[in-house]
Amino acid sequence: MEYGSEVQRLFAAPLHCGELPPNVPGLASGEAEDRTQPVWVRFQLEVAEGVVRRARYRVFGCPHTIAAAERAAEWLEGRPATALAALDLREIGRALGVPAEKLGKLLRIEDALAACRRSLETRTELNDGDTTD
Amino acid sequence: MMREIYLDCAATTPVDPRVLAAMTECLEREHANPSSSHSAGRRARALVERARAAVAERLGVPPATLVFTSGATESNNLALAGMLAERGGERAHLVTSRIEHKSVLDTAKALERRGVEVTYVASDPNGRVPPDAIAAAIGPRTALVSIMHVNNETGVIQDIERIAELCRERGVPLHVDAAQSAGKLELPLARWGVALCSLTAHKLHGPKGIGALYVRDGVPIAPLFHGGEQERSLRPGTLATHQIVGMGRAFELADPAAEAPRLAALRDRLAERLLALPGVRLNGAAAPRAPHIASVSFPGAEGESLLLALDGVAVSQGSACMADSPEASHVLTAMGLGDALAQSTLRFSVGRFTTEDDVDEAAARVAAALARVRSLAAGAPAWCSA
Repeated sequence: MEYGSEVQRLFAAPLHCGELPPNVPGLASGEAEDRTQPVWVRFQLEVAEGVVRRARYRVFGCPHTIAAAERAAEWLEGRPATALAALDLREIGRALGVPAEKLGKLLRIEDALAACRRSLETRTELNDGDTTD
Repeated sequence: MMREIYLDCAATTPVDPRVLAAMTECLEREHANPSSSHSAGRRARALVERARAAVAERLGVPPATLVFTSGATESNNLALAGMLAERGGERAHLVTSRIEHKSVLDTAKALERRGVEVTYVASDPNGRVPPDAIAAAIGPRTALVSIMHVNNETGVIQDIERIAELCRERGVPLHVDAAQSAGKLELPLARWGVALCSLTAHKLHGPKGIGALYVRDGVPIAPLFHGGEQERSLRPGTLATHQIVGMGRAFELADPAAEAPRLAALRDRLAERLLALPGVRLNGAAAPRAPHIASVSFPGAEGESLLLALDGVAVSQGSACMADSPEASHVLTAMGLGDALAQSTLRFSVGRFTTEDDVDEAAARVAAALARVRSLAAGAPAWCSA
């Protein structure tokens, strides 16, 4: 399997891989998996005043999936939580040169982030910037 | 710069310097076409026949039973398609197993599209194809049974002696893919009574691009190619003299009795170190295995990521012929491994130039890479390890 230099760089230094403390305020978590691929992704976001302060993830998956998760986490930090809806994993996949047959794995990242987004919506983080829950 | 350690000898092996010397001498001195009748051609022909005799001697068969091909993939294609064309054509029945190399399975599928009925016999959880299951699959229209000697992913050895006996009793010819076993295990083709056997040079420190098909005297097969009388018209085309010389020298040098104990000791040394890591398991552990291959599963560490993290150690995630496929190994899943565990499996294979230092250093690097990749997936559900 060929990997582009950016995939190799992100895989070698997945700075956002990890997890946030469970008691952090404004924490949203989401998981997704596809056992047939096989791939599992968990994302955690710390959202304060409607802004993603920290993004962390764990991945059981291939280097392309790990690199895409790292790129997604990089992109999210510092952005309004409403930007979650604008994150396009297909675009990240194209930028990283992910083979077409692997794009399905990347979509599990999107699913995990969608679960984060739903978690935030129930706490109105996306609506009024209220960080209490 | 990190020292590169090569543990992928089941994919291909480095050319032995003695093989290279023989090939170089041939390329420098003998350029003539071995089919030409002038003296230069006759000299080239003599080199081809000397190499054929060397391969034949290693196998204990008459030289005239060997047909040079481009490698085991072509030999497997020629064996299956060539035999089926001669024995029943589209009405014929082929018996093979689910754990064969893709060059057999894909040829079988191509034959199926032409109307041939194919039975794919399952292996047991240790990767052995039960001889009785093969016998049970043989029917009145069965034209050929094709079973590999050593599995290229797990190293598990099939009971060819018993399978050959059962085929003989039923009057059905047997084809054996011996790409992984030649030079590592004895191949008593005549005693077994197999009809066809696929061979290649590059798995035993010979050159790539050259192989052979053993065709027992009197066994009828049709050629895949047309356009010349070389190799008894079974494989027309100008003979690659230097490649054939290299194959002959490689087979001269590959003595299983001398090499197998050393290879097995290296394989076991490596396996012992890897199995000391948490959760690691050896596939086919309860079956007889070839001395050079260890298939090792690392639960919780996705294999492609483990492979990339393992920079500087050349190993494979299953077959080299499937290296770009995102699918789990058909061999490992046929042995009962789940998709995740099959994806978390690496094949380590040693060769003539592998040293104890190589396997010790590789095991240490695997331990470090494994810890890193498992940490990326910390907290993953249990199915990621099953």
